[in-house]
This record gives sequence, C-alpha cells and structure tokens, in this order.
Amino acid sequence: MEEQNESRKLTNAELELQADAAGAGEVKRISYAGLIARRFFRQKSAIAGLIVLGVMVLIAVVGPMVCPYDYTEPDFAAINVPPNAQHWFGTDGGGFDLFACVAHGLGRSLVIGISYALLTMVIAAVIGTAIAYVRGWGEKVGMWILDMLLVIPSFLLVAMIVRAASGATGWLVLILGLTAFGWIGYARTLRTMALSLRERDYVKAAKYMGVHPMRIIVRHLIPNLGSILIIDTVLGVIAGINSETAYSFLGLGIKSPDTSLGLILSQGSSAMLSGPWIVLIPSLVLVVLCVSMQLIGDGLRDAFDPYSRAAGSVDDDTDDDGDQK
Amino acid sequence: MARFVWYITKRVLNYVVMIFVATSLTYFLASSFMSPRSNYESRTPRPPQESIEASLDRANLNDKTPIMERYQKWLGGIFTKFDWGMTPQGGSVNQEMSGRIGASVKLMLFPTVLSIAIGVSLGVYTAQRQYHWQDRFWSGVASVFLVIPTVVLAILVVFFAIEINSAAGTRIFYVTGLQSYTGGNVFLEFLDFLQHMILPTIVLTIISAVGYHLNQRTYLLDEMHADYVRTARAKGLTRKQAIRKHALRASLIPTSVNVAFSIAGIFTGAVMTEKIFAIHGLGEYFINAINGNNIHGAVAVAAFSGVCTLAGALLADLFAAALDPRIKMS
Amino acid sequence: MAEKNENTMAADEVLRYELLESNGPKGAPTGDPVLSVRDLHVSFNTEAGVVHAVRGVNFDLWGGRTLGIVGESGSGKSVTALSLIGLLDDNAHVTGSIRLRGEELLGKTDEEMSEYRGTKISMIFQDPLSALTPMFSIGDQLAEALLIHNPGMHKADVRKRCIELLELVGITDPEDRLDAYPHEFSGGMRQRVVIAIAIANNPDIIIADEPTTALDVTIQAQILDILKVAQRETGAAVVLITHDLGVVAGSADDVMVMYAGRAVERASIDTVFAKPSQPYTMGLLGAVPKPHVAATTRLVPIKGNPPSLAAIPTGCPFHPRCPMATPECAQNEPELLPIEPSEGHLVSCHWMDKIREKGLTFEDVYPDLEPLNPKWAEVPRDQRPVVLEVKDLVKTFPVQGKGLIRRNKGTMTAVDHASFKIHEGETLALVGESGSGKSTTLMQIMDLVKPENGSITVLGKNTADLRNNRERRELRRDLQVIFQDPMSSLDPRMPIYDVLAEPLEAQGWKKGDINRRIGELMSLVGINPDYVDRFPSQFSGGQRQRIAIARALATSPKILLLDEPIASLDVSIQAGIINLLEDLQTELKISYLFVAHDLAVIRHISDTVAVMHLGKIVEYGETEDVFTNPQDPYTKALLSAIPIPDPKVERTRERLVYRDGELVSASSLTRRG
Repeated sequence: MEEQNESRKLTNAELELQADAAGAGEVKRISYAGLIARRFFRQKSAIAGLIVLGVMVLIAVVGPMVCPYDYTEPDFAAINVPPNAQHWFGTDGGGFDLFACVAHGLGRSLVIGISYALLTMVIAAVIGTAIAYVRGWGEKVGMWILDMLLVIPSFLLVAMIVRAASGATGWLVLILGLTAFGWIGYARTLRTMALSLRERDYVKAAKYMGVHPMRIIVRHLIPNLGSILIIDTVLGVIAGINSETAYSFLGLGIKSPDTSLGLILSQGSSAMLSGPWIVLIPSLVLVVLCVSMQLIGDGLRDAFDPYSRAAGSVDDDTDDDGDQK
Repeated sequence: MARFVWYITKRVLNYVVMIFVATSLTYFLASSFMSPRSNYESRTPRPPQESIEASLDRANLNDKTPIMERYQKWLGGIFTKFDWGMTPQGGSVNQEMSGRIGASVKLMLFPTVLSIAIGVSLGVYTAQRQYHWQDRFWSGVASVFLVIPTVVLAILVVFFAIEINSAAGTRIFYVTGLQSYTGGNVFLEFLDFLQHMILPTIVLTIISAVGYHLNQRTYLLDEMHADYVRTARAKGLTRKQAIRKHALRASLIPTSVNVAFSIAGIFTGAVMTEKIFAIHGLGEYFINAINGNNIHGAVAVAAFSGVCTLAGALLADLFAAALDPRIKMS
Repeated sequence: MAEKNENTMAADEVLRYELLESNGPKGAPTGDPVLSVRDLHVSFNTEAGVVHAVRGVNFDLWGGRTLGIVGESGSGKSVTALSLIGLLDDNAHVTGSIRLRGEELLGKTDEEMSEYRGTKISMIFQDPLSALTPMFSIGDQLAEALLIHNPGMHKADVRKRCIELLELVGITDPEDRLDAYPHEFSGGMRQRVVIAIAIANNPDIIIADEPTTALDVTIQAQILDILKVAQRETGAAVVLITHDLGVVAGSADDVMVMYAGRAVERASIDTVFAKPSQPYTMGLLGAVPKPHVAATTRLVPIKGNPPSLAAIPTGCPFHPRCPMATPECAQNEPELLPIEPSEGHLVSCHWMDKIREKGLTFEDVYPDLEPLNPKWAEVPRDQRPVVLEVKDLVKTFPVQGKGLIRRNKGTMTAVDHASFKIHEGETLALVGESGSGKSTTLMQIMDLVKPENGSITVLGKNTADLRNNRERRELRRDLQVIFQDPMSSLDPRMPIYDVLAEPLEAQGWKKGDINRRIGELMSLVGINPDYVDRFPSQFSGGQRQRIAIARALATSPKILLLDEPIASLDVSIQAGIINLLEDLQTELKISYLFVAHDLAVIRHISDTVAVMHLGKIVEYGETEDVFTNPQDPYTKALLSAIPIPDPKVERTRERLVYRDGELVSASSLTRRG
C-alpha cells in the first residue's frame, strides 16, 4: 500500500497515464485504408471482378497496338467474315476488323464511364453537402431547384445536348452532356445522407470552434460520406457505360468515323442473321465489363460496411473492438 | 378533409410551377441545340430561301426570330388552345402524340404489372433465405440483369427469338411492331398481338422486376432486424411468422412508393425498347423528334414526362399515407 | 442425468449455497428452482476474432424472486438474457445447459422454442420506442400475444383481457387506448405496453433487459413499480439486467455481478451492498457518487477500461485494473466460490481469504479517499466576476405535424424565461429530464446570436452586440462545449492530432505552437502523447471523452459548457472523468455549465443547481440547499425518483409523483397495490 500513498499527490490525468503505461489496454493499430483493403481482398468475387476489369483495360490499351488492323481502315478482301485467325473477332459488312473496333470502343466506354462517374460525384458531393449544411432558405431554394431539375427525366435532356455531337469530338460532348444532368440525382441522395451527418456532434463542435463552413464541408462532411462516394463512383462508371451504349445505339452519341460499343451494336443489329458475331461479341464484352464493375462495387460495399453481411455482431453493446466506423 | 384538399391543392400548385419552369428551360435548351432550318437546307434540291423562311415562320421555328418572341408565341398557344406547336414539317404535335400514348400504354401495362408481381415476390423470397443458395442465385442473376445495358439485353432476346424461329421453321415471335394481322378473326388477331408483345414484354419485365426484387429484398432485410420483430418473437411467434406478420408489412411501404412511380411510367413508354422493337410509342417519338429537329415535339414529350413524374410523386405520398398509420391524412 | 459433465456437477455443488441467500426482503429461496442455468458459454465469430461473450455462467431462478444481473457494457449480461429465451443471432455458438423445470431448452429449434416464448418465458427490452411494430395498433399487438398461445380464444374474451392487462400496467382509459398506434404513446407508456405483452400469458420467467435505461428518472421509478406489480400478479421469476446499481437496490432479491462474461460475485441484495467482497464490485459501488449524501471526498475511480470480449486478459480478467493484483492473478482465473461456508455469498477472487479475514472494504483496497479539492477558496464565490449571465432567455420552435401534412400546429416553448449566472471558477448544474429545455439552453448560448427574448452575456459581451463572425470566433476561444457521446463528437476519419489541431487552426495558431500545445493537452487529460496519429475508434469510450475534453481546452477557454459529459460512459470510468474535470477546474479556474439528468453526479460536482422543467427554471440555488431542502414540488418529485444504491434506504422510501403541479404519493397511483 506504500505505492498507493504516493499516488495521492497525482492528478487523475497522471494516474491514467500510469495505467496506460502499464499496458492494460493495448489497442490494435491498423490504418483505415489497410483495414478496408484487407476486407476487400478477402472476397473472391471482388478479386475476380478486379482481375476481369484489369484484362478489359489491357485489351483497351494494348489491343489497338497488337492488332494488325485499324478501326478506321476497312479490309475489302474480308467483308462480313466470321472470327478467324486473321480477324480475331471477324469483320462487319463494311470490312472493318471487329477486334480493332471493339478494343477502341472498349476504351471509349471506359474513358466515358470513368470521367462521367468522377465528374458527377465531385459536383454532387459539393452541391449535395452544401445544400444540407446551409439550412434555412438556402436549403429550401436548393432543394426546389434540384427537384425541379429532376422533374423531366434526365435521359431526355441529355439526348437533346448530345445529338449535336460530331464524329471527332462526340465522346467529349457525350461526357459533358451526361455530366450536365447526371449529378442531380446523386446530389439529392448525398444531401439526404449529409442530413444526418450535419447533426453529428463533431460537426457542431467544429462550428462552435469557429471553423469556416467551407472547411467543415470539405474536412468533415465529404470525408464521412467517403465510403458512399467511392461505391457510387464505381457504380457510376456502369451508369456511364450504359448511357454511352444507349445514346450511341440511338445514333445520338458516338458517331462514325469514331466508334464505340453502342455504335457497333446499332450497326450490327440490322445484320443479326448474316453476322451474329457482330452483335454478340460487343454484347458479351459489355456484360463482362459491367458485371466486373458491379462485383468490385459490391466488394467495396461489404468492405466498408462489415454489417451488410453476417460478419457477426454482439448484442451486448461492445463498442470497443476498434474496427467499427 | 378540407385540410386534406387544401394540402393537395398547395402541392399541385407547387408542381405546376415546377413543370412550368422545367418545361421552359427544356424549350430553351432544345431551341439552342436543334436546328429545324437544317431540315430544309439539306434537302435536294434545296428549296428557295423564301420558302424555307415561310415554312419555318409558319411552324414558329425560325431561328431568325428572337427566341423570346418564339417562346411567347409558343406559350400563348399552349395556354389559350392547349396547342403544343408544329413539327418542322407542319404537322400538329398534339395529334402526333395522342396516338402514340395509346401504343405506349399497350406496351407498358402488362410488363409493369408482371414485374411488380415477380420482383416483389422474389425479393421477399430471397430476403428470407439470406446467405442460402437460393438468395445467392437469384440476387446474383438480378445484379447481372441490373447492370447490363438494355440494348444488350434486348438484342440478346431478339437474337434467341430469331434462332428459335429459324429452328422451328415458322414465325413464332415477331421482332418488330405491335400488330401485323389484318384479317377479321378476333382470336387470330389476339394471337398475333401476343406474338408481337411477348419479346418486348420479356425485356421490360426483366428490367423493372430486377429493381423491385433487389429493393424489396433490402427493405425486408432492414425490417427483419428491427427491434419489434424481436418483440414479436418474444411473444411466441417463430422467426418466419414474425417476419411475415410484422416485417413484411413495413417493408411494403417503400415498395408502394416505387409502384406509384411505375404507374406514372406506363404513360411515358420506354425509349430503348420502343426503338429496338419498332413500336410507335412516345419513347420512339421522342427519339425521332430529336433526330428530326422537332423542337416542339421533343419539348412536349419532356413536359408530358414531367407531369407523369409529379403525378407519380403525388400518388406515392397517398400510397404511403394509406399504408403507414404514422402518417395522418387529416 | 448420469451424463452430467464435471463442470455441471461442480456448479451444482457451489450453487447449493444459493439456498442460503437470505439477507434480503424475501429471505432465502425455497423449493425447486424454475430455471437452472449451468456452465453457459456463448461465443460469436466476428471481424475482431471470436468474441466470448459469456464464459461459464451458472445460476438458478425461483418463482417470485428477482435476480439482478449487474454489469457494464461488454460484460455479457444481455447475451446471457437472450440465450435464456432463445433469441440470439444465428451466428451465436451456445453450449452448457438451460433447464426449465427440468426440461432442457438448449438445442431446441426456433419452432420448438416459440412454444415457450411468451407462455413460459417472456422478455422486456431496453428501447420501448422501437420495440412495438409501428404498423399495428396497441390492441392488435396485445391480442396477438394472447392468440398465439390460445388460438381458440373468443374475441370478446381477448378484448376483456387486453383491457385488464392495460389497466394492470397503469394505462388510463384502456378501452380507448386499444385502437391507438405506438407512435401516439410516450416512451414510458410504450414500455408499459411491452410489460403488458410480457405478462399476458402469466409466464414463469420475465426477463427485463435494461428496461428503464432509455427512460427519464421519474418514469423509471414508475416502470420499476409496475414491474413489481407484474411479478406479484404472475408469480414469475424476474431477471433484471442493468448497469445501474440503484435500480437493483430497490428491486432485486439476489444480485449477480458480471465482468468479462463471467459472474464475479453473487449474493443476497443486502449482502452485496453491505459487504461487497470482490475488488471489482467494491470499486463499482465505491466509484459512484451517492445522491443521498453530500460529497465530502473525491471519487475513487477504477483505473483502466473494461476489456474487449475479443481479447480478455488471461488469469483473472479484472487483474489489470485491480489494486490488489499480484503476478499470480495473471496466471489463472479464480472460480466463483462461497466466501463464508454458512452464507450464500459467492465470490471469485484469488485474495478471497485475505479479504474475508481482514474484512477488507473499498477504503482498504482502493487508494485512500482524498478530501474534495479546495475550490479556489481565496475569494468567496459570490465576490468573483460573473463570466456567463443568461437573462429571461426564450426559445420557441414551430411544431409541425409529422408525415404527409406538415402543417404548423403552433409553437412549442422549449426555453421559457430562463435566467441564471455563473461566477469564475464555479460550476452551475442545469438539471432536467428529456424535453426540459436544458440542452436547448446550452445550444442557445453556443450559437452566440441575439436570442428571441432576453439576453446572453458572455465575459461581459452581450451576444446581441456581436456584429460578425470574426467577433464571434474571438469569443469562441473562451467558450467551449463538450458533448455527451464521444463516439459522435470526434470525427472518425480524423487522427487525434487533427482533432486537437482544429480549434487552434480556427483561431489562426502557427504550426509550431500547435504541435507544442497538442503535446501539453494530451498529458493534461491523461492520454499518451505518442498516440496522436491514432484514430478515435482505437480508443475506449473514456479515453475518447478525455480527447474531447482536451479539444475543448485547446484554446484555454474560461467557460466550458458540458452536455451530459458522462451519461454515455461505463459506470467504472465515470468517476475518472469527474475527477479529471475537478482537477482541471482547480488548476485552470474554468467555469462549468454542467447539463445533466444524473442528480448524484450533480450533487458531487456542482456549486449551484438550476432545475428545469418544461422550459422553466423551477428551482435555483446552492447545491446542498436544493438537495436537502427542495422547495418546488417538481424538484421534490425528481429527488424522490432517483434510485439510491442502498437497498435499505431504497425499500423504505416513499416516492412522490408530480402531477399537474401537485405531489401525490406513488403508492396511491398503482392499482391493486
């Protein structure tokens, strides 16, 4: 009991530090990103998705280099031939090598899908959280405008813009057109998410410390929407690829001489009897591409939210296992 | 009741303002991105300049007239005669659209009902079997269908239909249009209608059933873990009974909201499906309008879609109020 | 029964001592137990590894008696309860034996268990707000409980019984209330309905899992009374699970204290409180401030934090926190054994014999009690400058109908002409139940804008005179806030360094100064400064609250507003935070505005008290005056409702209930009482 007599003079803080030094409660140290990565790579389907996506990117990047034909130069000696050693994916009615077209189109799809997803998420995150944070009249007006912009299906509005696209810069116009109306729905969802975040005590605490509103949005609100933003960006890539396919198929997006998966489908759909490979191959590529993105998205969702699956939970509120958000 | 009527009135007034602003913005957007003039200028032989100007003026589509002037005139027509303007060719948008709404409804009605029935049942079925192979299988199938582009799905369906046709040696499935029989036999006429309908119905049903399935599954899973389900089990209900009696009811509220929007969607048709199966509905009309620089047609379709969306929103509120005792009507 | 394993046999042997548990209001148990739990183990597979939530728990239940299971979060008490009724998640791995009148319940399927649930065993849950299905009326949910087990019951009989049950749990106008939906009921009313459902089929066992934790203190007293009525009506054995020793004191006959998934002490109610013999129990009882006696000494905290169930220390799980621990304690885990062969008092401690022989008590085991810090005595409080003054503060909110029609129903006055002032270095406690307006008052001060009515003066500056955000920011340096839940008040995405740097950056500090200041702050609140790059989730609840305190102190404020700063912390670490706050006040001469509902803590820490009720301050004065001689009827009712951690006091107390401005005795309100 001698030691205890000595501790009389110690303040509570010093006692606590002593207890800590004794190593009573050693906390596990894994960085947040490390933890997410560990959970992500534990899922076979997510790894499969990542590998397939890697292969797709490889085809899009390396394909045009290794393929002896260019997507702009027809081979008049081989018109509408099925896949063979010379033309790996066959050719279409104009003699264009399908592998060259698909590889180029895949690149287009990826570029459009990824740029669209990134741009919309940035715009949606800033506008959505800002509307949630300002409250009062600003919030009311902001929500009214968002609702108003959502009244008319954005598919129709985008179609009006991208129809003007030309052959050369069509893909740029498509990205801009898709982004111009694509962020609205996401902004609305993110605002709903931010509504609960803005009531968190750490946001209030920052406000009461005199932290600037813009800084609160950038340092607290957006990072805490991080998991949702990342997942939505991955799924947004699928949405972008889908849109490209739809508009190009309708003759509104990518136009010849440029080509894309949607455009190949549109051209092939009229010759389904004479050259089924022309529609089947790009269809398959699109399905594989979208499903692989979906697997990655699902994997990320489960990695961010371990409770989405039966990872196990303890009803007695043990809040200290260090792994939870 | 009076309060309820007042509430609905206020809501509708707000919606009218929204549609007005949204439609006007669409008008300006369409006017700046479409050029009806090019329809005439690209004709061979090119018509005389005066005739081009006269045609454009008649349709109120001349880009040499200031935009505000054209807008006022167009708006005046809508408010005084409910006239949504003319196509560049001089046709009436009202007339062209009215026939197409019917075709869209014919196309959409059955798949909508079917997809709700199939999707919701599958959602309930799979949620109750979470982590079992049934759930993995059906939810896996659904997430594949969720992400593949509609075009790809439709093309694959058409491809297999053609294969079946040629294997059977006779035309079982028609891949375009809604009707081709011209005789007087009612039975044959109906059969012919079914042969046309079946492929687009399959495509549309899959597309929207997938959404219902995955949503219903999430809603039910959320409710299944609610505290009140545990209370129900503590009373002596088995887990299955507690889910069926307590959780299911609550999970159907958000689904009913989605149903409301689907009902509104019946009237606006489906752009991709109509285009691929050559069904002359509203969706196809919109694409044709855009490709044909038909500004008034495109804006009219957009406005009609807007009205349907907001009607769906109103309907969704009423559904929720009817199903959820926490929301009081009076 | 020949196949009983060794553990069970040994447990039976030890549990014979239960029959000697006679030091309570009901004497010793007689007859056969209704339920016997032997060697119960429950584990879960989780992300963090296998969690051993329950590790070899044994106990018996007798009809008409109440067993209080006391423990902190993570002690395994709720998991124990759920395993009795078979409502654990599917991923739970349960072994051992649970026998209901000799019949084994473990291993039964969900369908088989459903025959027992509601009829033989029923349960009352913690959160009444989410325990009832929002889609169905109260009557339907009550009737369902009856009809599941009596499918042929006549409609009129069902209705009659439902009305009877609602009357029993003290719901007025039961006939009309049958058609009401849960959302039309308050939390306390809903908990009454849950109790009515639980007793509908006259069960043998009622499990109440923290039944009053989510409720206000005055409602809590009523619910505990109703639970007693329910027990009397059904003759059931009650398992009362709680972290609050005061709740057990008035309601239980026997007590089992759990720590890290095991029972560490078990005895009759009076024995536990009079002679706690396990160091953890001693600490738990000693660390809580007593609401019924004036504070004279500092609280003695149990150092450290409760262990994570995924990483339970070897040996005695309490040894890292135990002042008596020796290296031997870290070797093997002690068994639960009788401390006195003639009594039913079971203790699990390697030093049991020493404790018994020397009669060691809390004062002996834990470091000596120190007198309360002299509170800056040079200048008398009322002669010091006033740092915060609130005059006639009013805050109203528009009340909106929920759901489809959001019409304004008028306004609700959350704060109604509240006035008070705080001197330098003084602590004012603002007490009230939920909805009393205490937190709103605090937020009104923090907003630093002109209030709807009245005035707020911070350090001589009237908030109405602040012209822009720059002037407000300057004032915020001297005025900081600490929130209730450190989980939510620290951004989970920010390392501690950034958390602590935030207020300093907002005040425009330079990087070097910030670094230095953060080191100082970490030591000041007792967190190792090497941990600056860790994230909040890597700290325990108590440590997180210390970090929140460090952040509030960063700019050396003169006034600290504390919104229920210890309410969400475990009992054993509350004392540490209270001591820290007291140390800081002595050292830094800060003034506290302490918002709380826990009167015991307030009596300990505050100089003056303001009691709020429905937005009004109904009583305002020196702490001791208010506690010993309350004037307002509401204050009297509030004081009479606090559960006191002393069974003898608790049993003889007459509760007062505040009704429409008058006081009535609680016993006159309970029917059939």
